[in-house]
Amino acid sequence: MSTDPLKKRKTKVIRGDGGTPETKRIRGDADQDVRVYNEEVELEGRDTEQDYILYKSTCEAVAKLMAEIQDLKASGAKEGSMEVEERRRRGSVHFIALKKLNRMAHMRLKKARDQTHEAKQRVDVLHLQLQNLLYEVLHLQKEIGKCLEFRSQHEEIELVSVDEFFQEAPAEISRPHLTKEDPHQLTLARLDWELEQRKRLAEQYKSSLCTKEKILKGIEMKKEYLNSLQPGLQAIMQASLPVQEYLSMPFERVQKQAEVARHLPPPLYVLLVQASAYGQACGKRMCVCVYVYVSDTNLSVSISGDVDEAKALSRPPEDSQDDESDSDAEEEQQNTMPALFIWTLNVSLVHAVKRSPPSCDVDGSILHLFFYYLMNLNILTVKVKVSASADLSGAISAGELLNPESLLNCLYASDHGQETPNPANRYQFDKVGIVSFADYVAELGHPYVWVQSLGGLHFSSDSPQVEGPHSSLSASHMESTMKLLRGRLQARLALHKQFSSLEHSIVPVSNECQHLFPAKVVSRLAHWTMMSYEEFVELSFVQHVMKAGLVRNTDLFFMATVERGTARLQAAVVLNPRYPEITPLFSLSLLWKGERSGRTDDNLRAMESEVNVFRSELQGPRPGLQLLTNQMQRLCVCLDVYLETESQVCDGSEGPREFPREKMCLRTARGPNRLKPFKYNHPQGFFSHR
Amino acid sequence: MGPVELLHMSVFSQTFSPCGRFLAAGNNYGEIAVFSLSAALSPDATGMSQKPILTFAAHEGPVFSLISTDTHLLSAGNGEISAWSWAELTKRSTKALWTRRPNYKTSLEIPEINAMIVNSKDNSLIVGGGDNNIHIMDMETGTFKSVLQGHKDYIHCLSFREREGELLSGGEDGAVRIWGELIAHQCLQKSLLVSVTYLGECTRPQFGKWIGCLTTDSDWMLCGGGPALSLWHLRSMSPTSVFSLAGCQREAVFYQDLILTVGEGPYVSHCVPGGTVKAQIPSSSPSLNTLTLNLNSNEHRVMTTAGSSDQIDVFTNFSYRAFSLSF
Repeated sequence: MSTDPLKKRKTKVIRGDGGTPETKRIRGDADQDVRVYNEEVELEGRDTEQDYILYKSTCEAVAKLMAEIQDLKASGAKEGSMEVEERRRRGSVHFIALKKLNRMAHMRLKKARDQTHEAKQRVDVLHLQLQNLLYEVLHLQKEIGKCLEFRSQHEEIELVSVDEFFQEAPAEISRPHLTKEDPHQLTLARLDWELEQRKRLAEQYKSSLCTKEKILKGIEMKKEYLNSLQPGLQAIMQASLPVQEYLSMPFERVQKQAEVARHLPPPLYVLLVQASAYGQACGKRMCVCVYVYVSDTNLSVSISGDVDEAKALSRPPEDSQDDESDSDAEEEQQNTMPALFIWTLNVSLVHAVKRSPPSCDVDGSILHLFFYYLMNLNILTVKVKVSASADLSGAISAGELLNPESLLNCLYASDHGQETPNPANRYQFDKVGIVSFADYVAELGHPYVWVQSLGGLHFSSDSPQVEGPHSSLSASHMESTMKLLRGRLQARLALHKQFSSLEHSIVPVSNECQHLFPAKVVSRLAHWTMMSYEEFVELSFVQHVMKAGLVRNTDLFFMATVERGTARLQAAVVLNPRYPEITPLFSLSLLWKGERSGRTDDNLRAMESEVNVFRSELQGPRPGLQLLTNQMQRLCVCLDVYLETESQVCDGSEGPREFPREKMCLRTARGPNRLKPFKYNHPQGFFSHR
Repeated sequence: MGPVELLHMSVFSQTFSPCGRFLAAGNNYGEIAVFSLSAALSPDATGMSQKPILTFAAHEGPVFSLISTDTHLLSAGNGEISAWSWAELTKRSTKALWTRRPNYKTSLEIPEINAMIVNSKDNSLIVGGGDNNIHIMDMETGTFKSVLQGHKDYIHCLSFREREGELLSGGEDGAVRIWGELIAHQCLQKSLLVSVTYLGECTRPQFGKWIGCLTTDSDWMLCGGGPALSLWHLRSMSPTSVFSLAGCQREAVFYQDLILTVGEGPYVSHCVPGGTVKAQIPSSSPSLNTLTLNLNSNEHRVMTTAGSSDQIDVFTNFSYRAFSLSF
């Protein structure tokens, strides 16, 4: 230990601050021995280990002294005794040493901290520099990156390819000697060339714009000129109308109709085109006049295939048909079906009969067909009206014949016109709750399948797809349908006349058919009445016809009663709407000495067969309209033969015969079932068996 | 054939093929239809197997009679007889082998042929028809050997007594004539007139006196038609029983110990020789013209009936109608 406890009283200790021992001059104390005492310096000379050992020993010493003092005090030494004091003094000295050691320790600590701090500062500075540099490096790298990525606008310009450029550009621009080596120069040259070309093209563009403007102006002027001609043309057309009338070339009317027709829905348009084409084609034999009615405007235009005939034969029908379409239009507004927009097209078939065979008695009757197009349901329907030239009020039983509801029934087999042919309508009906279309047929017309075909609408029964109207479908059906319509009208009118005669008990037989029957026919037709389907079904002698499936509820039923003497023959007649294509069917029941029918009596069955089966003999000349009356006459003849050849007498006696034999027969019975001779042989006039 | 023609069709004759597998039927339009019985009776028969395998126009007039020999089908039309080979028919070839006409005197109307029988003893064909005579044709040469005259009106039916070799014929005049032996010798030896009208039990004047059906099994004879169907003992020439059937009978056969008969009325009558009508089995036609039994075949032993409709009823068990073939 360098410090001597004795020195501390006298010397002033000058402690130095900081790290370096400095000498501080003390003012006015020149003679004193200034001892510069720098503890820091001293610190460096001391060894920490030693200091530590010293500290430990000093502590021990102090502890020992305290223990001695304790012992002394315990052993009863009094206060302030020499040993205690000595030990106390020694303890204090040790205590001072401890303080010094403590100070040393603190100073060492401080020194170490200072050093660390300094080092740290240096490191921090360096670190900061490093950070700065790094940041700068990064920054520079980014800048370099940016520079490298820089796309100059020139690269967005599409330039012609290098080869083309060298080919096209003139030498002063392309400068191949320079540009072939230096890509930068090459690009510059290419840009130059591009600029030049674009300038040139811009010039061209401007000039063509100018020319276009000029041409447009020219067109405008010409258009105005043409427009100014229009009023003049109209005036000429008006002036030419009387000329057209005079020459019977109704261009005006045709044009007007074509205009209106353009607004028709497609199926009606197809129908109109086909009907007018057919009307023009068929010429003298049948005349088709077509009227177009639009429900709201009542515009009516007509074309006709044969103007002379139409004028000569048809009364002016516009008025009646106007009312027709008016009332139709009103009706449509009130119906409960989902909004149906109705178009009306009227086609009239005029029976122009100049050269037809004289037996065809229908002359100048008109069959009016009103075609409607129901837009929502996409079907065509038809209503019919007959205006006959002859008076039709004669026959009571003929009431059903020309009934507009059933006149066109079964034009083609099983085409009843009660249900809509478009399968998609089923879904529409279900939505609105309509069960069947048949209830609305009276208002809206009959949706026959042939009407759809005429309008080019084809509904296949498999799928609900509906194709657009086809005019080829309409064309192929038009002729056959028109023929059928004409035939139907003819047949019905002929039947009408025949019925009025039948009701007066006269069977009208025309001259050409007289050879089928003998001159004298005694049995006569007593009654000719109409029956309903329910009444027909009740009859006992017609069950075989019903079982064979030859009767439908669309057929017409009649009852004929033929009488001779006490014998009464009842014949139930089934008339198919397609008469005379389908032969009427007779079923017989004879009331004479008991009731017999075709089921019980083979001869009556043979009579039925004679009347029903031999259509080719009985139908007469070509349209075959005599079929029914010939069948009736043959029935009367057969009854004559039956009654006259009947030999059995009920009660066994051979009394006078009721019906004397007048017909000439070779044999009255033939074959296992002993049939009578019902076949009439013409010139010879006798009856034989088939 | 439209539905109206079918409605007015009558089947007049039927016969089975020699093998028993086919049925030929003739109708009033002159057509013959051949049905395959084996197909119709097989377990997997369909609707198509009840239709004919072949239909062809054989004659101009109705085909009133059909018979089968061992190889041929003979059909009678308007005064002519045609022969067809069964083998060819089953192969659907419709060419007639030959057509012959008996010698008729009248020329204005051609008489029909109502009945044909084959006499196997001397291989001859016996026909009777509308000209009131019976013609006998030799099958080998095809010539008409002899004519048996005697009936006053046309002949309805013929029957042959095998044992005695006698021919029975019934006609519209109400007489049953028995033509005796030696008919092969072309001369009439014995003809016994059985005049039914004298015997009160059988006569039915409201129907007439014509004899429609005739059949015999050498001791007994059945005859009916206008008069009621009655069973006669031939040796004593007297009726033993009369059957009370409502309509006129057109065909009757002996089968085992039953008598089967058809006629007016839509049923087949089963009668016992004692005179009672045992059963009446309903059929589909309003009246029946012909009844045949297929005795040629063991597995297809059926009875078929046909009449005034286009249906031919087939009875597999004779007590009820099994199904119908149709033209």
